[in-house]
Amino acid sequence: MNWRSQNVMKYIRFFSDSGSLIDVLKYLIVMLAGIWLISVGTEKLGYNWQWYRVPRYIFTFEGRHLVAGPLIHGLMVTFQICSISMLFSFVIGLTAALFRLSDSQAARILARCYLEMIRNTPLVVQLFFIYFVLGPVLGIERFLSAVLALSLFEGAYASEIFRGGIVSIQKGQWEAAYSLGLGSFDTYRCIILPQAFRRILPPLTSQGISLIKDSALVSIIAVYDLTMQGQVIIAETFLTFELWFTIAAIYLAVTLTLSFLVNLLEKRISVQS
Amino acid sequence: MQDKEFENRKSSDIITVDRISKTFSSGVVALNEFTTHIRRSEVVVVIGPSGSGKSTFLRCLNGLEDIDSGSIVIDGIPLDDNKKNRQEIRKEVGMVFQQFNLFPHMTVRDNINLAQQLVRKKSKADATEMTMDLLRKVNITEKADAFPAQLSGGQQQRVAIARALAMMPKVMLFDEATSALDPEMIGEVLDVMKKLAREGMTMVVVTHEMGFAREVSDWVIFMENGKIVEAGKPEYFFNHPLEERTRAFLSQILT
Repeated sequence: MNWRSQNVMKYIRFFSDSGSLIDVLKYLIVMLAGIWLISVGTEKLGYNWQWYRVPRYIFTFEGRHLVAGPLIHGLMVTFQICSISMLFSFVIGLTAALFRLSDSQAARILARCYLEMIRNTPLVVQLFFIYFVLGPVLGIERFLSAVLALSLFEGAYASEIFRGGIVSIQKGQWEAAYSLGLGSFDTYRCIILPQAFRRILPPLTSQGISLIKDSALVSIIAVYDLTMQGQVIIAETFLTFELWFTIAAIYLAVTLTLSFLVNLLEKRISVQS
Repeated sequence: MQDKEFENRKSSDIITVDRISKTFSSGVVALNEFTTHIRRSEVVVVIGPSGSGKSTFLRCLNGLEDIDSGSIVIDGIPLDDNKKNRQEIRKEVGMVFQQFNLFPHMTVRDNINLAQQLVRKKSKADATEMTMDLLRKVNITEKADAFPAQLSGGQQQRVAIARALAMMPKVMLFDEATSALDPEMIGEVLDVMKKLAREGMTMVVVTHEMGFAREVSDWVIFMENGKIVEAGKPEYFFNHPLEERTRAFLSQILT
């Protein structure tokens, strides 16, 4: 065995020892299978790929200026809806969780009703209900309806996450705070929630990502979000696959960015304590 | 002799406990018409087998457990359903737990500052000044910026004592404060407790440390099944116990 093949062997051994060579191979196989499936599938469809027509819906050049296309406009609407809904859903979720854990029976029942009602009906139905039934009565237009529906829906799930986080804090923490003369509010604010927040950050992130994906549903009440813009373009151009893939990629980019940011936050928090 | 002593003790009570009873939802009777008085600056040690209700008694004294019947009055304030009274009593009664219960997401300094700022409404500077004094007292100034997880059990418990003292309580409750510690760390915590006792702090101490009870306490209460079996000054209690049950218990733990 010469020097070079020895080196190669060392390399292979390094990878197989840590199991990563096998992982890389698995990954490659899955990717190849995916590409193969899509190419075979589209071949059978006789689909005429026209990727070159897609970029103009994202950006166009007007002279020397970069102008955002309809997909970016849609993405901005999606951003608005998601960020407002996320904020509201956390507030609603936390409130519902505190109601569930409160001493007041009325508050507990109220929170329970809210949770079960939201969790056991489809989001589409809630969206329609708010837009078509509550909308005209309360005078809320479509953007607000979308935000309200998403906030209430995700808030129900967030409330269970909050509740789980709060009850996971040992009883001793409550007792220590109470024995120092702190009231319930201060105990929640300074002792319980900061600790619970660290624990629920991962599931809360999943919930946030769900919210971003669920926001695609608001297109059914004709809110011009990313998905709606895509549908409009597809209706005009028949670039079905290209646009759906593009839209999927944009959603993926947004959710991955969110995951990444939360990961950073998690690391920072864990360094602190 | 001991009865007369008991009558004398009643004179300057800071804590009056009158026939309190407590039954847990599981049906276990923790306290059964329990009555006692504790004087200012007195160190009372409560001993007894596990499940005798001694911890429950302590936890009732600052309202961590609700009593089913009877009454507790601490420094003139009745501990009842009135939330304000309860809050007022908790400000005046410090508690040290078996499991320390420090706030893990805060530094030692913030642990001790917290209640001073939130409950006593002190400025941060004033609170920190007191915190550093207390850390000096429990001999652990160098750890002010550490987080609880970075401390040994003994250090954590000393911080917990400092945290309770920061409220300038009139009474300190110790719930098996040394039971979760490694043997070599028990001494450092007991030393702090002895120091407090010498300074005249009123203390109610649930413990298995008979050495501490003998040396420091003014009064020993032996409990079983939620009742007092025998109570007395330590020199009588340990040397000439009256009850057969006390003798059996002492002979078991003192060997």
